Amino acid sequence: MYVAGVDAGSTTTKAVVLDENSHLVGKSLRATGANVTRASELAYEECLHASGIREREVSYVIGTGYGRYKIAFGDTQVTEISCHAKGAHFLFPKTRTLVDIGGQDTKAIKVSDKGEVLDFCMNDKCAAGTGRFLENAATVLDLELDDIGPVSLRSENPLRITNVCTVFVESEIISHLARGQVVEDILRGVHSAIGARTIALVRRVGIEPEVTFTGGVSRNVGMVRTLEERFGVPINVSDLSQYMGCLGAGLFALERAQGASPRRVKRVEAGGS
Amino acid sequence: MELKHKDAGKVVQRELMASYYGDLEDGEGPVAYLFVPGNVVEILRPFGFRTVYPEINALQCGIKRVAGENILKAEDMGYSADVCGYVKNDVGICLAGGSTPLGRIPKPDLLVCNFSGCNTFIKWFEALADLYDAPMFLLDVPYLRDEASYQQDIEYVTQQLWDLVAYCEDMTGTTFDEAKLRETLEYSRQAEDLWTQLLSRARLRPSPFDAYFEAVFFMAPINVLRGTTDCIDYYKVVIEEMEERSRAHVGPVPQEKFRVVYEGPPCWPHFRAFWELFKAWGVVGVASTYSKVGGLFETGIRHDPARPMESIAEYVINCYTNWNLKKRSELLQQYIEEFEADALIIHSVKSCRSFSVGQADFREVFSHELGIPTLMIESDLADPRYFSQAQLKNRVDAFFESLEHQRIVRGS
Repeated sequence: MYVAGVDAGSTTTKAVVLDENSHLVGKSLRATGANVTRASELAYEECLHASGIREREVSYVIGTGYGRYKIAFGDTQVTEISCHAKGAHFLFPKTRTLVDIGGQDTKAIKVSDKGEVLDFCMNDKCAAGTGRFLENAATVLDLELDDIGPVSLRSENPLRITNVCTVFVESEIISHLARGQVVEDILRGVHSAIGARTIALVRRVGIEPEVTFTGGVSRNVGMVRTLEERFGVPINVSDLSQYMGCLGAGLFALERAQGASPRRVKRVEAGGS
Repeated sequence: MELKHKDAGKVVQRELMASYYGDLEDGEGPVAYLFVPGNVVEILRPFGFRTVYPEINALQCGIKRVAGENILKAEDMGYSADVCGYVKNDVGICLAGGSTPLGRIPKPDLLVCNFSGCNTFIKWFEALADLYDAPMFLLDVPYLRDEASYQQDIEYVTQQLWDLVAYCEDMTGTTFDEAKLRETLEYSRQAEDLWTQLLSRARLRPSPFDAYFEAVFFMAPINVLRGTTDCIDYYKVVIEEMEERSRAHVGPVPQEKFRVVYEGPPCWPHFRAFWELFKAWGVVGVASTYSKVGGLFETGIRHDPARPMESIAEYVINCYTNWNLKKRSELLQQYIEEFEADALIIHSVKSCRSFSVGQADFREVFSHELGIPTLMIESDLADPRYFSQAQLKNRVDAFFESLEHQRIVRGS
């Protein structure tokens, strides 16, 4: 028996297929673009292809992420907040604090020893300090997104970036460049600015080890280092961090398929619109 | 079962409000503008004032989806994006010559600024005083700090109430009629009793009504018509309707799954969509602070014909937004216990500092110290631009998803 989780995020859409023993069979990732429904269909197809299985072999599919209600082929939806907690607990069972930085969201989630959400906080109304902030910084500096983390770690005299606005940070970076500051130092400042904003959010739910970092931004080594310095504890990061949402969705799907909590299926559907 | 009193509260209120706005448009007598929290309408009625509540106009414009246009008019004039949406809506109405979908709002002859914990109120009426060239009477209401200064504060406000009486006598040429004041206070007292009785019915399981989304509708007469017999009669009608709902086991949602307390104003421009976020999960508001902005009558505060000025002063000082944060937090805790609520929902609105201040602390106290699940969400009460449906839905869904999961795991 197979199950799947699909995470239609604001920037990327991800999918995983799990077998009945919770083993990862296949995964896929693609840009969400303008058509969320199509992106999730394609991500799902690619994932099935990568897994080497057919659609009819999949017993249960759960959609998550902002586009979860647009995933037409899914059986039900669960918010990515619950899914990230589930996924993080699966990979790092001692996770008590979860930090997820995605394309336009930062979430701080307090997780129970069973992987349940106890409390959460999110950035409101503004994408300051999220993945989009880093993307804009990379664009202005003419670097690939994947390179800015490693480059930032080469900084010797980190600059202080005062702006946390995703839009206005561009002009601040340009003015630093105009003054002849080096890219490494600017980037280290950019990472620190996000770190400061993130820790303020995480404090609202409380920082309790172990801390796990998920979402696309967790692939950035500069950000991992910044957060470790700020938290003062080592941070769990997985190669699958970006897939944490759909992994959690897949694990929920497995529970549903195995009938672990049938009541919940109905209620979650009632929450949809 | 056929409900004889179905929507009676809605129907009667529609008539009352139409008649209220009709009188503003065509009626006679001087016009006073007042704020809802801590207003002194009982002093003004005996002088024959017709009263306008700019907050109520803003609320109604929000529901009728014209607040956005009014706000833009004020911003065109130079008001910043950060200024309270209620203020800008009101300035917009003024710039439109008083024209609203509710009727034409008359110009003020007097602005009575009853400052109750909101310092924007002062700037708001100063702006109106300038725009309408009308006199403003500032009632300086001390913020409720501690017990030690309480009696002194009551005396301080009482003295100002007599100043207002003298001002009104002078302005209208009418002698103050204390018997009329006592009569008005008696009408207020009776309505306050009934309103309190109505809200207490949310203790029932299931609650016959939503004590946030419906209570903020039912609150209109206590805020606008206090001191009249219409107001008393209205709450008799609503109580009857709710008694019938209880007998028929009818509530605001098909099945009451979660009972919550709401803190903060609702989002008027997206009222239905905002409510739906919660209805979808079987959530029922059993108590709310915003439905009490016009007075914390359940704490025993009453207008009292036997102690006219003192009781008005007590009422004015003891408004929710004029209370210190400790007292507000204790009130919320009391609501959670008395109404057997599962969670606290804090709706923080960008416009209203007098509400938003301290909400992050409430979140901290309730979720961390008291162990009560608390959700904090953000939009605005007047400005339609600050409502982000997807983000709100995500938070609300995640919150009730996890509450439900914990409930299933606990097996209750």
